[in-house]
Parts: sequence; structure tokens; C-alpha cells
Amino acid sequence: MSTFKKAFLFNGIGTKPEKLFQAMTPQMLEKHRSYQHDEFTRLGLNENLSENTPMDRLAAEWLTSLISDRVVYEYYIEKGIIPDIGMGHSSGIVSISACFGSVSHEFAHEIIMMNRATMRSLSVSGEKQDMGTIIGMSIDDVNELIAEKNYSPDEVIVGSANSRICTMISGREDAVKQLLLDAQEAGAIKVIPFNIGLAYHHPMIEKHSHEYVEFCAEGEYRAPEYPILSIFDGRIMTDGQDIMRENQINILNPIRWDLALKKLEELGVTEFFDISANGAVGKFSRISRRKGRIYTFDEV
Amino acid sequence: MREITEEIRQEIQDMIFDYYADECEIDRDEITMESNPQEDLGSDSLMFVELIEMTAEKYDIDVKLQSIGKYMLKTPMDTMKDVVEMICKIYQYGNDIVNL
Repeated sequence: MSTFKKAFLFNGIGTKPEKLFQAMTPQMLEKHRSYQHDEFTRLGLNENLSENTPMDRLAAEWLTSLISDRVVYEYYIEKGIIPDIGMGHSSGIVSISACFGSVSHEFAHEIIMMNRATMRSLSVSGEKQDMGTIIGMSIDDVNELIAEKNYSPDEVIVGSANSRICTMISGREDAVKQLLLDAQEAGAIKVIPFNIGLAYHHPMIEKHSHEYVEFCAEGEYRAPEYPILSIFDGRIMTDGQDIMRENQINILNPIRWDLALKKLEELGVTEFFDISANGAVGKFSRISRRKGRIYTFDEV
Repeated sequence: MREITEEIRQEIQDMIFDYYADECEIDRDEITMESNPQEDLGSDSLMFVELIEMTAEKYDIDVKLQSIGKYMLKTPMDTMKDVVEMICKIYQYGNDIVNL
């Protein structure tokens, strides 16, 4: 019998803060307000997001998302729903590292703040990068299109294969923009540019991420309370050093979320719990109803 | 091309309204043919893809998402009436929707 039945899935960045609060209970909102107040004060951020500098604002939005994950995670635990395993998409790795007790929440928030160093380096270099999502195409469809249109890997690659109908691309801003147009012409149901000026999950971001990567190694990592599945190679991680390495390689490498989900299904997971407050993970993951069910916090 | 009867058309409309009511967690009676799926119901493109796949499975339709995506370039979907029309066209034409 499988020891892995329940998996907790953590989302990455990208959700607007106001969307996170729509389904939260008054108690959850109050908890979020309290956590956010303490952390924003400590980190010198303005709680009125628009009052921050552009880089601080982006970091503040992402922190809001991480704090939301913590509130939803604690909600599940209070309801007696305990994970057997978990995994995080992109900055969801930072989030799960904290919620599963491998690092402190404070350190996780400081990792998120270090994205500003990457933004600063990019800004100085004058390089233009971006990311985008293609709905209605698989990684194979997008790779075929990339080959057909003769894009080089230095221009644009698949940054994350989320599911057979949702693929994220990452690379040079002009190439990302053009590939999104190409995808639309080729029959994508929808294309969504991120417009964040960063090419996470593309190796081109490496030269701007030294501070970030070095900082990830500066914290104290403990063994997580529950195993974490790597979204890069499908390993089950139970050691603090593994979690540190996963955080270090996170923003530099393409994600295979689709394969990681498949691995969870193979391990016997039948119940998936979406840690994002707006159900985003469930939407892009496309978990087969024949193999399992995904829950959002307001369904438990 | 597959013939579509009034009965099937009504069945498709009911299926779509039930689906959006369930997915968007709103009362079915609040959905009208004039409702905007995104702005009024809070739906998104991933939800629409799921509806297409559900329809294809229910009615055993051979259709590629890209064929529908190309058709959508010419036919925007602003209302639930547009969604119902689109799904009826998928029922009738399958992959040939791209040639319409």
C-alpha cells in the first residue's frame, strides 16, 4: 500500500494579491493581515503596495502571495489534513520550504526579497527579458513551433511544462513576444505575456542571479517535516541540503511540473490539496479525475 | 458535418450553463445568454479548454484545440451566447471548424 496519499501543491508567483483574498474567511484574512504587517515592517516594505518603489512593489506582491500560502497551509493543518508529500511550482519551492519547516518563514521571505538583486543586475545590463503562458498547447506543440520558427535556445525556451494544455515560455523579451504571436496564429486558445522583465527558468538569468543563488545557501536548512518532490528531476527530498540545492537551482532551470505530477500519481497520491488561495494550481495542473482529486481550501 | 437538432442544442446549452455555474460557483439562474464569461462569471481560458474536452468526450468528437484556437481568431467569444454557438459548431464540424 502506498504511503503517499495526500500531496500539497504550492503555486509560484503571478497572482494579483486581491484575487488571493476573495475566498478567505475573516479569520484567515486577519491572520494574513497580521503576518503581513509583521514581515513588511521587518523588511521595510509599505503595506500599501503601490507606495513602494517598482522593484519593492513586485517583491511585496510576491511576499503577499507567500504569506497567503502560509495562511492556507495552516488552515488545512488546523482541519486535520496532513500532507504525505508536497511540491512547489517556481517560487512555490521557497514557500513549501518554509511551510514544511525546512527554513524559517523569515528566511523564505528574505529569499523572495533577493529577487530585487536580480532585477537590479538586469536593469544595469539593459537586457530585456520576459515570460509568457500559452494555453491550449503542450510542451511538444510549443517545441515544434520553436523549431519551425527557428528560435535558438538563447532566445526562448519552454520554462515550464505545466500540463498538456498549459505551457510557460521564457527568454528574450522580443522572442517571447513574437513566439506568443506565433502560438496564437498556430491556434493557441489564449496567450498571456507576463510583462515582468525577467526570464525565470531560462539559463540566461544565471549571470544576474549570483547574489540570489548565494543567499539561498546562507540560511539554516533542516530536514522538511514531510518529503518534497523535486520539480526538476522527480527526486523525493527529505534532507535539508537537498532543499537548499533545490532553492539554488530553482530560478535557473526549466520546470517539468507535468512530469512531477505524474510521478506523484505513480507514487499513489490520490488527493491533491491546492495551497494557492485562488485555486490556481488546480487550474493549470489538469489533474486527471480518473486518477485523483484536487481540493481547494474552501472545499474541505 | 453532423446535423444538430434543437434538442441537442438545448442539451449543449444546459451542459454549458451547468458547467459554468459549478466551476464559477454561482447560481445557474444568474447566468444568461448575455453574460460575459470572464467579466460576469469569473471564468478563464483553462476553464474553456476543459469545457471543450468535456464536450468532445461526451459527444465523441474528433477535434484539436489548435483548430478551435484558429477559429477563435476570427470569432471572439464575448457572451455565453457566443460560447454556446462555439460548442454547437464544434459538435457539428469537429476539426473542420478551422475551415469555416
